[in-house]
Amino acid sequence: MSVLDLRTVNPLVKVLGPIPVMIYVVTTRDVLTPALVGLLAFALLALLGHQRPRVLAAVALGTVALVAVMTVSFGLLTDPATVDDTTPLARVGPLEVWSGALATGLATAVRTAALLLLVLLGGLTTSGADLVRAMTQQLRLPYRVGYAALAALRFVPRFSHELEVVRGAHRVRGVTAGRGPVGAVQRQAGYVVPLLAGGIRHAERFSLAMEARGFGAHPTRTERVVVPFGARDLVLLAVLWAGAAACVLLAASV
Amino acid sequence: MSSLTTRYLMTCAAIGAAVGVLLVPANFVSAPLALAAPLVFAPMAGLWVTGPVLALALVRRPGAAVLTSFVAGVISSASPVGATSILTCVMVGVAVEVAFLVTAYRVWRPWLFYVDALASGVAYLATWWLWTDMSSWAPGVMVAFGAMMLGSFVLCTGVGLMLAKRLARAGVARGLASASDREVSEALPR
Repeated sequence: MSVLDLRTVNPLVKVLGPIPVMIYVVTTRDVLTPALVGLLAFALLALLGHQRPRVLAAVALGTVALVAVMTVSFGLLTDPATVDDTTPLARVGPLEVWSGALATGLATAVRTAALLLLVLLGGLTTSGADLVRAMTQQLRLPYRVGYAALAALRFVPRFSHELEVVRGAHRVRGVTAGRGPVGAVQRQAGYVVPLLAGGIRHAERFSLAMEARGFGAHPTRTERVVVPFGARDLVLLAVLWAGAAACVLLAASV
Repeated sequence: MSSLTTRYLMTCAAIGAAVGVLLVPANFVSAPLALAAPLVFAPMAGLWVTGPVLALALVRRPGAAVLTSFVAGVISSASPVGATSILTCVMVGVAVEVAFLVTAYRVWRPWLFYVDALASGVAYLATWWLWTDMSSWAPGVMVAFGAMMLGSFVLCTGVGLMLAKRLARAGVARGLASASDREVSEALPR
C-alpha cells in the first residue's frame, strides 16, 4: 500500500474530519457550493481511495441517479404557492410541477449528494472495528467499552444459532400464531423476547468468562492491532478542509 | 468506572448486537426511501430509538442507551456508509439519554421516556428542516411529515418499553438495575 492510501489513514480523520464540512453543506441553499464539495469528495475517493473501478462507477452513477430522483421527489413536496411566479411544467392529477419547485428540489438533491459523498469518503475505506480501535487508542475511550463493542461482533453468528433453537422450540411445542402473512408477522414477533433473553443470558456468561481471564484488571492494556495517528493524517485533514474552503470561495466568487 | 461492570457492558452489547442486526437491512431500505419518498420514510424513523430505550428501561443505569446504540452502530456498519453508522447511532443514543441525564437518573417512569421521544423527534425534525429546506414544503405535507415522524418515535419508544417489561418479567438482567432494586425487593414475597 502506498503512502497516499485512504484505507491506511486514521479512521478518526476520515469519519470525524468531514463533519465540519457536512455541517456547512447542510446550511447552504445554492447548487454550486455543494456540487463543488461533492466533486472534491469524489475526487479524493477516486484518487486516494484505491477502490475497484466497479465501486467507483456505482458511486458516480448512483449519485447522478440520486440527484435525478430527489429533484422530482422533493420538488413535489414544495409548496406551489411559493413558486407560482415560475413556469408550470406538468400536471398529474392533484400534483403540479413548477420549475421553481424543481429548482428547490435540485438544491436539496445536490446537498444530499455532497453529504453522501463525504460520508462514503470514510465509509468505503473504514470498518467499524477500526474506528472503535482508533477511539480507544486516540480518543481515550475506556478500552473496556471498546472491547465490549468488538466482542459484540461475535454475538451475531451466535444469535443466528439461537434463532434456530428458538424456532425449533416453538415448533416442538406447537406455538401457532395463525396462518397467512399476519400469522407470519406474529410468529416472527414471538421470537423477539426469547431471542433477546437468550442473548442477554449469553452475554452474562460471556462477561464471567472475560473476568475470569482478567479482562479489565489493569487500567491500560496492550493492543494487537495498532491504529497509528501521524503527520500524514494531519496532512489529509488539512487538504480536506482547505479544499472545502476553496470550493466555498470559488462558489461565492462566481 | 466502578459502575461500568463487565456484566453491564456485555448486557448492553448483547442488546446492541441484536438491534444492530436489524438496523443493517433498515439502513439499506431507509436511505433510498428517505430520499425518494420522505413521507414513506417518516413512519420508520423511530426504529433507531427502540434499542436504546429498551436497554435504558431494562438496565436503568447511566450510559446504557449510549452504550447500546454505540454497539448497534458497530454492528450495523456492514453497509456502504461503514463506520459513519456508529456516529449516527451514538447521536440517537445521546438523544434518548438526555432526559434522564437532566433528571439526574432519578426518574425512570414511562412518561419520561415518552417526553424524551417527543423531544428527540423534534430535534431530528430540526435537522431535516435544515437539510431539506422544509420551509419551502407545502404546509399539509409538512404537518403530515412531522406528525408521522413524532408518532413513529413515540410508537417505537412504546415497543422498547414493552420489550423491556417482558424481559424483566422473564427475569433477564435481574439485579443489574440500580434504581429498581428496592422496587424488586418490595415486590418479592418475604
